[in-house]
Amino acid sequence: MRIEFDFLAVLAQWPLLLHGVAWTLGLTAVSALLGVGLGVACAWARSQGPRWLRWVVGAYVELIRNTPFIVQLFFVFFGLPAAGVKLTPETAAVIAMVVNLGAYAAEIVRAGIDATPRGQFEAAASLALNRAQTFIHVVLPPALRKVWPALTSQIIIVMLGSAVCGQISTEELSYAANLIQSRNFRAFEAYIIATGIYLLLAIGVRGLLNWFGPRFIFGGRRG
Amino acid sequence: MVDFTLWDILRNLLLAARWTVALSLIAFVGGGLVGLGLLVARIARWPGAERFVAGYVQLFQGTPLLMQLFLAYFGLALFGVDTSPWVSAALALTLYTSAFLCEIWRGCVAAVPRGQWEAAQSLALNFSEQLRHVVLPQATRIAIAPTVGFLVQVIKGTALASVIGFVELTKAGTMITNATFQPFLVYSCVALMYFLLCFPVSLTARALERKLHDRR
Amino acid sequence: MTVADPLATPAPHAGLTDAPVVDIRQLRKSFGHNEVLKGIDLQVRRGEVIAIIGKSGSGKSTLLRCINGLEVFQSGSLAVDGRPLLHDNAAAMRELRQHVGMIFQSFNLFPHLSVGRNVMLAPGLVKKVTSTAGEQRARQLLARVGLAEKFDAWPDQLSGGQQQRVAIARALAMDPAVLLCDEITSALDPELVGEVLRVVESLADEGMTLLMVTHEMGFARKVSDRVIFMHQGRVHEMGPPEQLFGQPQTPELQQFLSSIS
Repeated sequence: MRIEFDFLAVLAQWPLLLHGVAWTLGLTAVSALLGVGLGVACAWARSQGPRWLRWVVGAYVELIRNTPFIVQLFFVFFGLPAAGVKLTPETAAVIAMVVNLGAYAAEIVRAGIDATPRGQFEAAASLALNRAQTFIHVVLPPALRKVWPALTSQIIIVMLGSAVCGQISTEELSYAANLIQSRNFRAFEAYIIATGIYLLLAIGVRGLLNWFGPRFIFGGRRG
Repeated sequence: MVDFTLWDILRNLLLAARWTVALSLIAFVGGGLVGLGLLVARIARWPGAERFVAGYVQLFQGTPLLMQLFLAYFGLALFGVDTSPWVSAALALTLYTSAFLCEIWRGCVAAVPRGQWEAAQSLALNFSEQLRHVVLPQATRIAIAPTVGFLVQVIKGTALASVIGFVELTKAGTMITNATFQPFLVYSCVALMYFLLCFPVSLTARALERKLHDRR
Repeated sequence: MTVADPLATPAPHAGLTDAPVVDIRQLRKSFGHNEVLKGIDLQVRRGEVIAIIGKSGSGKSTLLRCINGLEVFQSGSLAVDGRPLLHDNAAAMRELRQHVGMIFQSFNLFPHLSVGRNVMLAPGLVKKVTSTAGEQRARQLLARVGLAEKFDAWPDQLSGGQQQRVAIARALAMDPAVLLCDEITSALDPELVGEVLRVVESLADEGMTLLMVTHEMGFARKVSDRVIFMHQGRVHEMGPPEQLFGQPQTPELQQFLSSIS
């Protein structure tokens, strides 16, 4: 039994693959920014907010972390329109990814905030900073630095998870692979190449985030 | 048009949920066995094992589970194996689980202080005795909470098997939605069922984690 | 190196009883590019108690750890009881470690085993001692270190001093010819140090060969036959305690002694 592979047939469709990569990265970038922002807000709410808000955030976090992303995505894209909210595939994908990342980021950032030494709060108070200023300038940067590896890993997980968004016709990388194999029937080759690209993206994005974080968010070796 | 009651929907989802549970258990147990083998190979420093296992883990952690499922499905078909979605899903999820569990357990072994290895060596224990009587008992205790926690990831992972056609909870949800035109209700029920499966496991893992730290 | 002890090198044609139990010649060890032991020569007679002192970084612990193979040395020779140390020979190392015991600064008791089982584990596995014989011996040894009633206790229920005494009993269970003590009281609260030192002193009185890296100068002075001062990877001064502590010859030793008193 001879198995013939034809990788060139897939690679010839590189514009489609590139388009998919661009969308995957774009979705990830937007979701990372909004998702981490949401996570920080939730972490703040959980440590500083009123009791009822803490409960709401807690319920949100547990709900998201104990259900599969694909179900969340289908709920947003198929379920919400039935309740009156119509969404494009791309919007639905971003919303689902942001909501998903937000829940995980909330837990990760909360762990970082909880590890803030008591003395930092005391120093900030004696410098007459208010609660918001203390949080943004004193507590958050070292907390983010501490949990940056975990946060980076979670962003990578969300990026890899975005492969599912192709199922609702978001034109990211897995959608491109699906499209290619439906045209030339080279399913295995298409998915191998897409998988390889995802691996490179994962490595690349991790490196990028490790470079980006210290530079722009929490300051190199200080703190 | 046939009217579907809530009970009809739930009943069908519950029937499909059996397959979610079955697939999760197979992947978890199978993955655990494979992962254990990989771990031993890595710790015992068999030639080439370190690089192979590191690459294996990097591969499964750095690529989407969906792609792994597709590759299992189309790959097995290429080699002439008669694949159903069930077999491909079981294979892909087992390998996926083995990579993650191997990595989790490796961290647990690394968490056993170096002094324990040295004390065992100084008492003339050979490598397998050091592992069996001193290091693994301690590593296992550390490993229980994260291993149970990973079961949640496996259960959630089975949902992707729906994409290659395996009829588990998510696929049943899609099919029922197509029949009833009530996606909001159906997917809410699907989410609720996953929640009922996963949440107790998450709580157990957290309780085990607390118990571990209290004893120290 | 200033040597005052003529017994440092064994006489030629020495009889079996005169053969050093630990024979180290020109030992060199590096960590990467950093040479930590720069040619150590040391012969230890049976029953001798040797205290090794020096600043941190002088190579004291590394030397000790070379003797039971926890550290691998690059050149020179090391023999225990006439047997040379062969790192890549697992059987030889296993044999060696039955003759050399080690007590660690951080005790390293096995937390998942009771005190009694900690002591019984190695003889059972390595010397194939039966569990009844092993238990009897363990109880005997625990009584020896003053902890007879703690046989079924767990390590985390004991104080530091008690844990270290269990560690000593555990090492003694293997009937070693030499005991290596790597700063065994450094991690103890001051009031617990005495109980451990008393056990060590009794071992010395019974004729156990001891090599101790220690900061307890008073103890070293009292108990040891020979004191070795190490400095920057070399044996800098060596001699009986009264001489080394009373009349330090080199400025480095003088400086060291004044810095710790």
